[in-house]
Amino acid sequence: MLLFRSGEHVERSGKPAGAFMTAGQAWRLADIWYRDRADPNWQRRTVEEAEDVFANLGLVGDFWKLRRPPTMPAATGMDPKR
Amino acid sequence: MNTTAVPSAPETAASLRISDEQAVEAYRQLGEGHVYVLEPTDPTRFRMANPFSTVPTAYKVEVSGKSYYGNCVWDGLGIVSLMGGTGQLKTHCPDCGETLTLVVSDRALVHEEGVVHFSIPAAHWWDDIIYT
Repeated sequence: MLLFRSGEHVERSGKPAGAFMTAGQAWRLADIWYRDRADPNWQRRTVEEAEDVFANLGLVGDFWKLRRPPTMPAATGMDPKR
Repeated sequence: MNTTAVPSAPETAASLRISDEQAVEAYRQLGEGHVYVLEPTDPTRFRMANPFSTVPTAYKVEVSGKSYYGNCVWDGLGIVSLMGGTGQLKTHCPDCGETLTLVVSDRALVHEEGVVHFSIPAAHWWDDIIYT
Protein backbone atom coordinates (compact mmCIF):
# COMPACT_ATOMS: atom_id res chain seq x y z
CA MET A 1 0.00 0.00 0.00
CA LEU A 2 2.28 2.64 -1.34
CA LEU A 3 1.78 6.30 -2.24
CA PHE A 4 3.11 7.11 -5.70
CA ARG A 5 3.30 10.42 -7.50
CA SER A 6 0.94 9.04 -10.20
CA GLY A 7 -0.13 5.91 -12.04
CA GLU A 8 2.75 6.36 -14.49
CA HIS A 9 5.18 6.15 -11.61
CA VAL A 10 3.57 2.87 -10.51
CA GLU A 11 4.05 1.44 -14.00
CA ARG A 12 7.67 2.57 -14.13
CA SER A 13 8.34 0.97 -10.77
CA GLY A 14 7.43 -2.45 -12.15
CA LYS A 15 4.75 -3.11 -9.57
CA PRO A 16 1.91 -5.49 -10.52
CA ALA A 17 -1.25 -3.89 -11.87
CA GLY A 18 -2.96 -4.28 -8.50
CA ALA A 19 -5.50 -1.64 -7.61
CA PHE A 20 -5.57 2.08 -7.00
CA MET A 21 -7.39 4.42 -4.73
CA THR A 22 -7.29 8.16 -4.32
CA ALA A 23 -5.74 9.77 -1.27
CA GLY A 24 -9.26 10.82 -0.32
CA GLN A 25 -10.45 7.23 -0.39
CA ALA A 26 -7.40 6.20 1.65
CA TRP A 27 -8.16 8.84 4.27
CA ARG A 28 -11.81 7.82 4.53
CA LEU A 29 -10.80 4.16 4.78
CA ALA A 30 -8.24 4.92 7.48
CA ASP A 31 -10.67 7.10 9.43
CA ILE A 32 -13.39 4.45 9.39
CA TRP A 33 -10.94 1.65 10.12
CA TYR A 34 -8.93 3.14 12.93
CA ARG A 35 -10.92 5.94 14.55
CA ASP A 36 -12.12 3.73 17.41
CA ARG A 37 -9.13 1.38 17.55
CA ALA A 38 -8.10 2.57 21.03
CA ASP A 39 -11.61 2.16 22.43
CA PRO A 40 -11.55 -0.59 25.08
CA ASN A 41 -14.73 -1.95 23.52
CA TRP A 42 -13.22 -2.10 20.04
CA GLN A 43 -13.94 -5.31 18.20
CA ARG A 44 -12.40 -6.47 14.97
CA ARG A 45 -14.68 -6.35 11.96
CA THR A 46 -15.96 -9.54 10.47
CA VAL A 47 -15.00 -10.33 6.89
CA GLU A 48 -18.44 -9.22 5.77
CA GLU A 49 -18.22 -5.95 7.71
CA ALA A 50 -14.76 -5.23 6.30
CA GLU A 51 -15.91 -5.89 2.75
CA ASP A 52 -18.87 -3.58 3.36
CA VAL A 53 -16.43 -0.83 4.36
CA PHE A 54 -14.53 -1.34 1.10
CA ALA A 55 -17.73 -1.41 -0.98
CA ASN A 56 -19.05 1.78 0.61
CA LEU A 57 -15.84 3.49 -0.50
CA GLY A 58 -16.27 2.23 -4.05
CA LEU A 59 -13.67 -0.50 -3.62
CA VAL A 60 -15.49 -3.36 -5.31
CA GLY A 61 -14.50 -6.41 -7.31
CA ASP A 62 -12.50 -9.54 -6.63
CA PHE A 63 -9.42 -7.56 -5.60
CA TRP A 64 -11.20 -6.33 -2.48
CA LYS A 65 -12.67 -9.67 -1.45
CA LEU A 66 -11.07 -11.04 1.70
CA ARG A 67 -11.95 -14.62 0.78
CA ARG A 68 -11.19 -15.69 -2.76
CA PRO A 69 -9.39 -18.30 -4.88
CA PRO A 70 -5.59 -17.91 -4.97
CA THR A 71 -5.35 -16.25 -8.38
CA MET A 72 -4.47 -12.65 -9.04
CA PRO A 73 -7.61 -10.72 -10.10
CA ALA A 74 -7.63 -7.98 -12.69
CA ALA A 75 -6.94 -4.44 -11.60
CA THR A 76 -9.87 -2.44 -10.31
CA GLY A 77 -10.51 0.97 -8.90
CA MET A 78 -9.61 4.36 -10.29
CA ASP A 79 -7.87 4.93 -13.59
CA PRO A 80 -4.18 4.20 -12.95
CA LYS A 81 -3.20 6.83 -15.52
CA ARG A 82 -4.49 9.55 -13.29
CA MET B 1 0.55 6.07 22.15
CA ASN B 2 1.49 8.79 24.59
CA THR B 3 5.14 7.83 24.77
CA THR B 4 5.48 6.70 21.11
CA ALA B 5 7.33 3.64 22.48
CA VAL B 6 5.97 0.11 22.09
CA PRO B 7 6.36 -2.14 25.14
CA SER B 8 8.04 -5.51 24.92
CA ALA B 9 6.36 -8.53 26.47
CA PRO B 10 8.41 -8.23 29.70
CA GLU B 11 7.53 -4.54 29.94
CA THR B 12 3.88 -5.37 29.41
CA ALA B 13 4.15 -8.08 32.06
CA ALA B 14 5.60 -5.65 34.56
CA SER B 15 2.95 -3.06 33.80
CA LEU B 16 0.07 -5.50 34.13
CA ARG B 17 1.66 -7.46 37.00
CA ILE B 18 1.52 -10.74 35.14
CA SER B 19 4.32 -13.17 34.43
CA ASP B 20 6.59 -12.79 31.43
CA GLU B 21 5.28 -16.13 30.20
CA GLN B 22 1.71 -14.89 30.33
CA ALA B 23 2.66 -11.77 28.41
CA VAL B 24 4.54 -13.74 25.78
CA GLU B 25 1.55 -16.06 25.40
CA ALA B 26 -0.76 -13.07 25.04
CA TYR B 27 1.55 -11.62 22.39
CA ARG B 28 1.53 -14.97 20.58
CA GLN B 29 -2.26 -15.07 20.57
CA LEU B 30 -2.50 -11.49 19.35
CA GLY B 31 -0.10 -12.37 16.55
CA GLU B 32 -1.93 -15.54 15.62
CA GLY B 33 -5.20 -13.68 15.62
CA HIS B 34 -3.79 -11.04 13.27
CA VAL B 35 -4.56 -8.35 15.82
CA TYR B 36 -0.91 -7.32 15.95
CA VAL B 37 2.20 -8.53 14.14
CA LEU B 38 5.15 -9.94 16.06
CA GLU B 39 8.75 -9.24 15.19
CA PRO B 40 9.73 -12.30 13.10
CA THR B 41 12.95 -12.85 15.02
CA ASP B 42 11.67 -11.90 18.49
CA PRO B 43 8.21 -13.01 19.67
CA THR B 44 8.49 -10.76 22.74
CA ARG B 45 8.20 -7.69 20.55
CA PHE B 46 5.61 -6.29 18.20
CA ARG B 47 6.61 -5.29 14.69
CA MET B 48 3.21 -3.79 14.03
CA ALA B 49 0.69 -2.60 16.57
CA ASN B 50 -1.58 -1.47 13.82
CA PRO B 51 -1.76 1.21 12.72
CA PHE B 52 1.65 1.82 14.29
CA SER B 53 4.94 0.40 13.12
CA THR B 54 7.50 -0.21 15.84
CA VAL B 55 10.34 0.35 13.39
CA PRO B 56 10.99 3.36 11.16
CA THR B 57 9.22 3.17 7.81
CA ALA B 58 8.71 5.39 4.80
CA TYR B 59 5.46 6.63 6.36
CA LYS B 60 6.26 9.21 9.00
CA VAL B 61 3.33 10.78 10.79
CA GLU B 62 3.30 13.98 12.81
CA VAL B 63 0.46 14.43 15.27
CA SER B 64 0.30 16.93 18.13
CA GLY B 65 4.03 17.44 18.08
CA LYS B 66 4.83 13.74 18.22
CA SER B 67 6.22 11.50 15.51
CA TYR B 68 5.07 7.99 14.69
CA TYR B 69 5.61 5.56 11.86
CA GLY B 70 2.81 3.87 9.98
CA ASN B 71 3.10 0.53 8.22
CA CYS B 72 1.71 1.95 4.97
CA VAL B 73 -0.40 4.85 3.71
CA TRP B 74 -3.57 3.33 5.17
CA ASP B 75 -2.01 2.87 8.58
CA GLY B 76 -0.22 6.21 8.50
CA LEU B 77 -3.51 7.98 7.96
CA GLY B 78 -5.00 5.63 10.54
CA ILE B 79 -2.61 7.04 13.12
CA VAL B 80 -3.86 10.53 12.31
CA SER B 81 -7.44 9.33 12.77
CA LEU B 82 -6.73 7.44 15.98
CA MET B 83 -4.88 10.39 17.47
CA GLY B 84 -7.69 12.86 16.91
CA GLY B 85 -7.96 13.53 13.21
CA THR B 86 -5.41 16.28 12.69
CA GLY B 87 -1.89 15.64 11.46
CA GLN B 88 0.24 14.95 8.46
CA LEU B 89 1.86 12.01 6.75
CA LYS B 90 5.07 12.35 4.79
CA THR B 91 6.49 9.75 2.48
CA HIS B 92 8.29 9.59 -0.85
CA CYS B 93 7.28 8.18 -4.20
CA PRO B 94 8.87 4.71 -4.47
CA ASP B 95 9.61 5.44 -8.13
CA CYS B 96 11.07 8.94 -8.24
CA GLY B 97 11.75 9.62 -4.58
CA GLU B 98 9.79 12.86 -4.54
CA THR B 99 8.41 13.77 -1.13
CA LEU B 100 4.64 13.41 -0.92
CA THR B 101 2.57 14.88 1.88
CA LEU B 102 -0.99 14.28 3.02
CA VAL B 103 -2.45 16.72 5.53
CA VAL B 104 -5.58 16.13 7.59
CA SER B 105 -7.28 18.79 9.67
CA ASP B 106 -10.33 18.13 11.82
CA ARG B 107 -10.87 14.83 10.00
CA ALA B 108 -10.80 16.46 6.57
CA LEU B 109 -8.05 15.76 4.05
CA VAL B 110 -6.93 19.30 3.25
CA HIS B 111 -3.81 18.57 1.21
CA GLU B 112 -3.23 15.54 -0.97
CA GLU B 113 -0.70 14.34 -3.48
CA GLY B 114 -0.26 11.13 -5.41
CA VAL B 115 -2.25 7.93 -5.77
CA VAL B 116 -2.38 4.93 -3.48
CA HIS B 117 -1.44 1.62 -5.05
CA PHE B 118 -2.14 -1.86 -3.73
CA SER B 119 -0.04 -4.66 -5.22
CA ILE B 120 -1.58 -7.49 -3.24
CA PRO B 121 -5.25 -8.52 -3.40
CA ALA B 122 -7.09 -8.26 -0.09
CA ALA B 123 -7.38 -12.02 0.33
CA HIS B 124 -3.58 -12.27 0.35
CA TRP B 125 -2.68 -9.32 2.59
CA TRP B 126 -1.88 -11.60 5.51
CA ASP B 127 0.20 -14.04 3.45
CA ASP B 128 3.12 -11.73 4.23
CA ILE B 129 1.73 -8.72 6.04
CA ILE B 130 5.11 -7.07 6.47
CA TYR B 131 5.60 -7.04 2.69
CA THR B 132 1.98 -6.03 2.13
